[in-house]
Amino acid sequence: MITFKNVTKTYEINTNNIIQAVENIDITFKEGEVILLKGASGSGKSSILSLIAALSKPTSGEVIVDSKKISKLSDNFASIYRRDNIGFIFQKYNLIPTLSVKDNILLPLVPLNLKADDVEIKLNTVMQKFSIFHKKDIIVKNLSGGEQQRVAIARSYINEPKIILADEPTANLDKKLSEKFIEIMKELKEMNKTIIIATHDPLFFGLEFIDREIEMSDGKIIV
Amino acid sequence: MILSPEILTIYILNALFALLSAIAFYFSVRIFLYWNENSTSQLQYKLEKQSYLSATIIKYIFAIKVPLFLFFIFTLDDMSNIISGAMCAAGVVDATVYGSYLLVLKVLNLYLFAYWIVLHSKDIKFEVQPYIKQKFGLFIGLFFLLVVEIILEIMMFNAIDVTSIVDCCGVIYSSSSQSYLSMVLSLDYFILLGIFYGVFLFLTISYIFKLRYLFSILNLFFIIISLITLISFFGTYIYELPTHKCPFCFLQKDYNYIGYFLYTFLFIGTFNGLVIAFIEFNKQEIEKFYTLSFLFNFLYVGIVTYYPVIFYIKNGVFL
Repeated sequence: MITFKNVTKTYEINTNNIIQAVENIDITFKEGEVILLKGASGSGKSSILSLIAALSKPTSGEVIVDSKKISKLSDNFASIYRRDNIGFIFQKYNLIPTLSVKDNILLPLVPLNLKADDVEIKLNTVMQKFSIFHKKDIIVKNLSGGEQQRVAIARSYINEPKIILADEPTANLDKKLSEKFIEIMKELKEMNKTIIIATHDPLFFGLEFIDREIEMSDGKIIV
Repeated sequence: MILSPEILTIYILNALFALLSAIAFYFSVRIFLYWNENSTSQLQYKLEKQSYLSATIIKYIFAIKVPLFLFFIFTLDDMSNIISGAMCAAGVVDATVYGSYLLVLKVLNLYLFAYWIVLHSKDIKFEVQPYIKQKFGLFIGLFFLLVVEIILEIMMFNAIDVTSIVDCCGVIYSSSSQSYLSMVLSLDYFILLGIFYGVFLFLTISYIFKLRYLFSILNLFFIIISLITLISFFGTYIYELPTHKCPFCFLQKDYNYIGYFLYTFLFIGTFNGLVIAFIEFNKQEIEKFYTLSFLFNFLYVGIVTYYPVIFYIKNGVFL
């Protein structure tokens, strides 16, 4: 369960330019829920994801994940929390363009120091699951947008995180690939993952598998 | 006033230390006064960020201070070439009233900064940092010591008069000198060596039986007796001259810079031994400190013992 308690997040560009990204938010996301965060650019969707992933800290308030106060974690512990709990799918995928598909997907496993056999099994399972096995040795910069996104999903999934966060995941995809992405999200929901998707893509609106749609504007929750 | 490239380097680094430590000091005071682990206020999150910055600054200062201390000694040694009467760093230290105090303060600050680093690395192993107030409180005190050190250093370099004739190490540490140090150094070798090896023996016993506080106290004694015996006895075998009693000359090239190794080993050995009395470590951590301490103290004892033994084997007599 993810709980936001009176969370505010501001970005201080300089003393005259303070951006209020999130303002006094109180919200709870239950385990296994699929949440859609809607809203225009700059409405605070990405900030919410970044706070859940402990990529940033609130300016005030508290973010609690499974009774752990993640907003109070130091950088070291935040990294461990992220490694163990979070799968993050970025809008621009954030892959390492000069590495192969296989090596990109493997990255989250590096600090775990697992046995080579276990890694191989995990890798093959995930690559097959997201239909990217046949491209495993291709350098990712040579892949199409849809394939790169599947690599990004596979990478976010390989640690079997409880929470999957997707930030504008279909912004660079055509309709067909976006629908494919939605299918993958449905599959992940069946595995009882908590999924939070920040998007303003209307393709996601009103879908049956989405439990809640939350609309944001100027850092506040409207609906 | 002397302004050699070495002194200029020390001044520039001191200016940097003063600036950075002032920032860390300001944040440390705020953290010490307002830190509240349970708070989710804007102030608390700001303090958390400031604690990272302050810790980084303090770690940076320590990382530079260790080699800078050796560079300081090297500079003093180098300056002895232009000061009449000085044969090594000892003459330069003795050339002004500030030299000895500065040297003692520098060593003390090194131990305290190293202690801060250990406390910090222990602290960040916990999700809730239990030593945060303690470590930043310590830095508030350390800041003042650092400022005094910087002022003393400037005063010392400014007070050195190259036209005055100073004493060389042979005079400063000779038994005919009236200082307390000379009185201690002129004690019977057998007594001093008996204490030195006796302390090391008890150190070994307390290491084997893991007698934490005794081990720590013995390390304190070990620093003192090691320095005394190094100057009065072991040093004379490094120089192969019974009248040459100096804690600096063996830092020179003529003696293969052995002094740097001896002081480094003594520092690592005794620091690791002392620190276990002040911080609660788990079994695995404390074992690491015990082992490091004993290993480096053992190496120190081994090296200093090597010189008189080899001298005896070569010449059939002691000095």
